[in-house]
Amino acid sequence: MSGNKRIMKEFADIQKDPPPGCIIKLLNEEDMNVWDVVMDGPADSPYTGGKFTVQVTLPKEYPFKPPVLSFRTKVYHPNVTNDERGAMCLGMLKADEWKPPNKIAEVLRLVRAVLAAPQPDDAVESGIAEQFKNDNKSYEKVAKEWTAKYAK
Amino acid sequence: MSSFPPPRHISQAGRSHARGHSLAPNFTSSALPPSNVRHSSSPNAPTSEMSLRGMSRLEGQHAMDQSRFLASKARVKNLNPPVDMRLLDYVAPYDGNLMCPICRCPFVDPVILTECDHCFCRDCIRQTWSAQYNPLGPRGDCPTCRTPAKLGLRCATSKILVNILDDLVVKCPRSEEGCPAEVKRGEVQDHVNIYCGYTVVNCPSDDCELPLRRKDMPKGCLHHGVCCFECREELQISNLERHWQSSCPQRTINCEFCDVQLTFHEREQHMKDACPALSIPCPGAAFGCTSRGRREQAETHSRNCTLARLAPIFAAQKQRLDEQEAAQKAMAHKLDIFQDGFASLQSLLCDPSDGAGLTNTQATVEPPGRNHRGRSHTMGAYAGTAEPLDLDFPTSSAQWSPSASTAPSRPAPNPPGPRPRDLPEPYTGDFDLAAPAFPSHSMTQEMPYTSPLHHLLSMHESLRDEMSRISAALAEVDGRLSMQSLNENMRTREEITYLGAQLAGLSRQVHWLTSSQLQRQQPQGAGARPANGSASSNVSDMTSVEAAVNAASNGLRGSQRMANGGNGMRRGLSEEGRTKL
Ligand SMILES: [Zn+2]
Ligand SMILES: [Zn+2]
Ligand SMILES: [Zn+2]
Ligand SMILES: [Zn+2]
Ligand SMILES: [Zn+2]
Ligand SMILES: [Zn+2]
Ligand SMILES: [Zn+2]
Repeated sequence: MSGNKRIMKEFADIQKDPPPGCIIKLLNEEDMNVWDVVMDGPADSPYTGGKFTVQVTLPKEYPFKPPVLSFRTKVYHPNVTNDERGAMCLGMLKADEWKPPNKIAEVLRLVRAVLAAPQPDDAVESGIAEQFKNDNKSYEKVAKEWTAKYAK
Repeated sequence: MSSFPPPRHISQAGRSHARGHSLAPNFTSSALPPSNVRHSSSPNAPTSEMSLRGMSRLEGQHAMDQSRFLASKARVKNLNPPVDMRLLDYVAPYDGNLMCPICRCPFVDPVILTECDHCFCRDCIRQTWSAQYNPLGPRGDCPTCRTPAKLGLRCATSKILVNILDDLVVKCPRSEEGCPAEVKRGEVQDHVNIYCGYTVVNCPSDDCELPLRRKDMPKGCLHHGVCCFECREELQISNLERHWQSSCPQRTINCEFCDVQLTFHEREQHMKDACPALSIPCPGAAFGCTSRGRREQAETHSRNCTLARLAPIFAAQKQRLDEQEAAQKAMAHKLDIFQDGFASLQSLLCDPSDGAGLTNTQATVEPPGRNHRGRSHTMGAYAGTAEPLDLDFPTSSAQWSPSASTAPSRPAPNPPGPRPRDLPEPYTGDFDLAAPAFPSHSMTQEMPYTSPLHHLLSMHESLRDEMSRISAALAEVDGRLSMQSLNENMRTREEITYLGAQLAGLSRQVHWLTSSQLQRQQPQGAGARPANGSASSNVSDMTSVEAAVNAASNGLRGSQRMANGGNGMRRGLSEEGRTKL
């Protein structure tokens, strides 16, 4: 109940002052716990010009348990799993590192920062991470192609 | 709560006495001052035994009162759970420094982690650490800075912070139900427990256990059914107010656009027909007029707008068009059925050896005209081809009655439509009859019909041709047969006449022989009796031979008649067949 109140407050706050490049809606008007975020690809990255849909699911125990993030748009990135889950592995979202005072707005800001600057050492897609480190040109090429193809 | 204090006839003294008694029954008489005992029991119980009995009666009554009080208190608690401070709405914005980083509300019962000086609500920090249970008391990492910390006695914050928090003004938690109160947060629990008219309490009636809002208490028990006098719905009086506010269809509301007062169930009608504030589209909107306006503007507009005036006509036209289209669809369906019928007719009429090719034809019969179903198109195509079709009829009917004599030498009739020369002719008999011109597949492929109707007509035409060809062939066969039988008959007749002539010669010879024999026998008839016997037997022999010859000639004549008759009958039959065809 207090979680729900906090979610409502956070949602109201994030509507008033959304993180740059993000449009946040509820996926379903009745359910405060699933947020639908449309994120612009950061400038100066191969993702620029794309619109990426990220679904943020807040667990019942929020804020005591971390939210779950999932890219609904396919994205070629070392830190985003290339499957239908589209999970981005962020340190602050791990269960033992999550802090209840963290806010979704902060999480989204971090997501955008990671999108702009991939972290190959914490990669979930090792192939893409290798390519990013050793053959950055072709990584950027594929990432741009995917952005043009999927992130319309 | 309402049943306490206990009934009046027990005095304060009596109560304390009774309580003491129940705690230590053995000491009652000695522990309490005698005046007290006398005061409470003297009027109607002079003896100590009597006073003891009265005491126990009072005791029992009091115990009952107390248990009832506790039960009702528990019920009130159930009806009104303690206020959750974190769900309160604050009247004025508050300092962000007063906000707990976990629940994002002003702190509720704040604690300070002594290890790092970070401040949280007590419940928030407990809940954060609840995952790792610790027998030595709640401990874990600070949610903000991750310093290991624990909740101890010294964690309570200063009184100043608590006072600031308690002075924040909040709305009554029952404000949504109608309570207008705005009180300091520190007093909100008291407001709910004691003053708030929207708090649920027990019904004042003794024999009713149902909940009631405090403000309705003076009205007494409201838990009997009544009928809403507007809509006749049955409900309890205690729910009547809510019913009028939110669910009665007869309740009065204001139109949200024009502020006219109306009852709820009239709203829809008002929105559709009467509300002057709603903008309504021009009646010709469906036909392109984009004008919208308030009701009175729309009326003047529709008087001037051409589209609005034409709208009913357009609508009628559209309806008619739709009807026509439906009819057309039905016709097309019928046509399909007929086409199928013709296809199966074809397959019946065709030589079974042609069956494989035929299924092929059936498959190709339908598609050509399919996508040209447009009405005008069909009509045009039909009109264009009607003339040559009509011209075809006389020629085909000319082939209908070929005479038997022309049959053997008659050339093959030309099939309608182009037919490749090199097509194998499936019908080759001893007569040079044309092979059926339909339904060779190359034909349907070569002549894509412009419309199903045309296609159907041409199929009909070829069927008719086929029929005439068959009837011609039949006539021919008939002629040949009659010729043959005629020839046969002539020969038989000649033979019969020849036989008859021979027979006549034979009978003359026999006659002559008999008469000469008789003349020879007469001179010596009396002289030789036995010879007479043999001669008479000879005569009878002769007569029987003659009879046999006559019978044979009779038979011959009969067979001749029969042959003639058969010929006649056959002719009659073929005549009949021809007229039938
Ligand atoms: Zn808190
Ligand atoms: Zn701390
Ligand atoms: Zn109140
Ligand atoms: Zn009652
Ligand atoms: Zn009513
Ligand atoms: Zn109105
Ligand atoms: Zn108009």
